[in-house]
Amino acid sequence: MELEALQEVHSEIRAQGAQIVVLTPEIERYTRAMHHKLNLTFDMLSDLHLKVAEQFGLVYTLPDYLRDLYKSFGSTLDRFNDEPEYRLPMPARYIIDSGGIIRAADVNADYTVRPEPAKTVRRLKELRESGNDSPPKRPLDRTCRLP
Amino acid sequence: MPSLQERLDEFKRNFESGAPPFKAPPEIIATMHRATAELEASGAAERALKVGDRAPEFTLFNQDHVAVSSADLLRQGPLVVSFFRGHW
Repeated sequence: MELEALQEVHSEIRAQGAQIVVLTPEIERYTRAMHHKLNLTFDMLSDLHLKVAEQFGLVYTLPDYLRDLYKSFGSTLDRFNDEPEYRLPMPARYIIDSGGIIRAADVNADYTVRPEPAKTVRRLKELRESGNDSPPKRPLDRTCRLP
Repeated sequence: MPSLQERLDEFKRNFESGAPPFKAPPEIIATMHRATAELEASGAAERALKVGDRAPEFTLFNQDHVAVSSADLLRQGPLVVSFFRGHW
């Protein structure tokens, strides 16, 4: 559902001079199939074994009882994600400015709550209008004294 | 057009009602709620990267097995990075 909703705003994201990528822990053939099925016009990137999600601090391990439940559904993460430890990323959406600094961060421990794509577009627009899509200037950490 | 959260909430209502096609029994729903409550209580979300932090750079393969680098994309403007759990 989230991918479809992001697709709906993709042209608005592009109109703000921005781009979007979706990182997924699934193995590539599932990613390719999903990308094709949904006719997505943005890239889905394979973050196999959650290497990048880990650097963003998003990875958690499913508790044993939940792992057993998912297994009973046939939703096995070892199969789809090559993830025998049953780790997942918390759903999250970031806006990174052209200087590499995070300007918006939405992270949810509850995976049934996702940030609204429309909110992401609004935030991109604000950044653009403020002419401030570059890193904030670091304040001087030394006091300059006149001689 | 309903918002994404409205669509998710609708799906959740249907799922948790125990109606077909999922026919989810109450004990399964309780297990899922327990796991979410524990993850929330762990404070994990608060430890993720935040506004003002420098984003890690990455190069990953896209759906067509073409390498895509965040540094290349950022040279063209701001970048939205969305983390997806998977289709399962």
